[in-house]
Amino acid sequence: MSSIRRGRDISAPSVWWQELFGENGLQKWVFYIPVVFFIMFFAMPMLLTVVWSVFERTMFWMEPGFTLFAYENFFTSARAENYVFSMLHSAVAATVSFAIGFPIAVFVRRRVAQAAQHRVILLFILPFMISELVRVFAMRPVLGRNGVLNNLLIDIGIITEPMTVILFSPLGVVIGDVMSFLPFMIFAGFLALEAVQNYIFEVSDDLGTGAVRLFKDIIIPLAAPGIFAGSVFIFVNAMGLALVPTILGGPGAVNAGLIANQAIVALDFPLAMAISTIMILTLVLLLYIGHRLFDLTKVLEPIS
Amino acid sequence: MNQSEWTRRAFMYTAASGVGAAATIGRAPNVFAAGDDALKIWANPGVHQVGSKDWSAMAAQGGLKLAATAKSARADEAIQKMVVGDGNKLFDAITDNGGGMEDAMASQKAIVPLDTSKIPNWKNILPVYNEGGLAAHTIRYEGKVYSTPMISNADSMAYDYKVLGFHPDSWGMMFDAQFKGRVALQNDFGPTLTNMGIYLKETGKIDIESPSNMKPDEVKAVCQFLIDWKKKGQFRTFWDGFQNGVGLLATGEVLLSSCWEPIQIIANRKTGDKADIRYGTMKEGHQTWNNMIMLTKGGRARGRDELYYKLANVYLSPWFGARTLAGLGFAPQMTGVDEYIKANPKDFPPDVQARVLDILTRKNNRFAVKGNAWQNVFPTHMRAYQDWWSRLQAA
Repeated sequence: MSSIRRGRDISAPSVWWQELFGENGLQKWVFYIPVVFFIMFFAMPMLLTVVWSVFERTMFWMEPGFTLFAYENFFTSARAENYVFSMLHSAVAATVSFAIGFPIAVFVRRRVAQAAQHRVILLFILPFMISELVRVFAMRPVLGRNGVLNNLLIDIGIITEPMTVILFSPLGVVIGDVMSFLPFMIFAGFLALEAVQNYIFEVSDDLGTGAVRLFKDIIIPLAAPGIFAGSVFIFVNAMGLALVPTILGGPGAVNAGLIANQAIVALDFPLAMAISTIMILTLVLLLYIGHRLFDLTKVLEPIS
Repeated sequence: MNQSEWTRRAFMYTAASGVGAAATIGRAPNVFAAGDDALKIWANPGVHQVGSKDWSAMAAQGGLKLAATAKSARADEAIQKMVVGDGNKLFDAITDNGGGMEDAMASQKAIVPLDTSKIPNWKNILPVYNEGGLAAHTIRYEGKVYSTPMISNADSMAYDYKVLGFHPDSWGMMFDAQFKGRVALQNDFGPTLTNMGIYLKETGKIDIESPSNMKPDEVKAVCQFLIDWKKKGQFRTFWDGFQNGVGLLATGEVLLSSCWEPIQIIANRKTGDKADIRYGTMKEGHQTWNNMIMLTKGGRARGRDELYYKLANVYLSPWFGARTLAGLGFAPQMTGVDEYIKANPKDFPPDVQARVLDILTRKNNRFAVKGNAWQNVFPTHMRAYQDWWSRLQAA
């Protein structure tokens, strides 16, 4: 076997700094930095969350021990009910986002000139330049009793009394979630469709495939992993972001993030950790199901 | 105070823990940049500072240097920082709620007892703090004074007089059918359950021994009462955060709201002639609360006692009391404020005097109601409060 690599004789004795920083030294460890990062900032916090969730609650903090009281408290109080409602609202928000956002992604992919597609998609980043708090709060003057929407509908005679169901209600929370997270569905949908080669659409057109069949039998199946990824992103954010139910929800509206937050405010740290653990498990389960159904490794693979 | 000032202050007042924590982290270096001769305080600038846009007027009044770090109003944040965090290394003095926080901090040895003889204005302190009972307890732990009160209030109900045409004097008005869907409560089990407990106790609907510290079956009864009304659609929402509370009243979304007095003041300013938002006196009583400043264990170890006493002296001066009353409508903690206001027409012109003294009179009326109950940050049966609040949320 040749000892010459890239024109350099590697059998020749190297100086100390080459040993330390060369291919056999620190250089080979550079590739492990992401692993270390993942362990430090993802795996460890999640592991600690699980461990702390079984600690004993003290008056102001917690101490090592093993108790499932926080979990028992979660499932025997109304928190579990609130959690399920939160999942339901988040699922509705993800579904509505799909219904609105995915057709936009399809439109951009199929009807906008290839050179302009990425620029058009980037336009959907613009709302993220504005603080989430401001964006959500700005919906209050629009959806309120004396808001823009109600005044408009009254002025044109569609309604005679202000609609109160669109704000401070479950519907208000869904509207807020959709407005906040819609771009995620557009991005994920577009990325998934970008992986579909153009000739697939061209062949379908040549064979006279109707628009509905094209959408149902070709676009949706091919983009399914991307749609699922976008949906999970929206679902998880809607579950965790406390801002939306706080500002747009009805009396005492909560989501999973807010339930955990309220436990922290009450200095019940094991309970907050238990709720977070349940959120993590929910997400893992969701990803597992998604992977079994759609093979999520295909999300970024080109489809030929 | 102009609107831009208010927005900044309101933002700080309502900042969530993240904002508070970020502010703490972001501004921590400034604490040390101020030098060793400054008193390092962790305080809420929106509420605990008067006289100028920064802490300079407070510092000048006390004859000391102040290095302040912004703090939110969250109890969990303060406890974590001071009991299990590095609060004692960073801060010589901190501000927080009375009626629980001083007990929590003192029991964990995060704060130290005070020598009130070193605070000349202690002689001005409201008599209620020296008469025993719950008010006196809010600044003491095991009989020793651990904190200096700076502001207080009796939380009540705001209403739009222009629409109502009368002045409600009972919490019961919130459960009147004519206001269905136009009522808001604070999204916090502490003040909301205490105020509702006061109402239900004083009207004889539920037997409650102490609305400040209810037993589990009492908490359950109060929450079930609220759940019934929630299911009937009586409440529009539960507000959370200052601007949220202001917005509900200012836009006419609700006509009645249990809230802090500054919310009513700002909502009324925002509405102009379109509404007339007022703050009532409830005959059943109100949750009363105070804010206080404490000397940390670290502050004492660094020999900051004298600086702390200078600042505490400012907080108990009519100079501070008059300004906090005129600004955000908080109750002064010392006697002699009305005389001070009348004696300083340059700072308090006749129209301002009339407005401020009116606030003070109404405030005194609220404080005089027999059924009032002091805020209790850590009730004995905290778990029951948490669990039943979650049931109310789920209903």
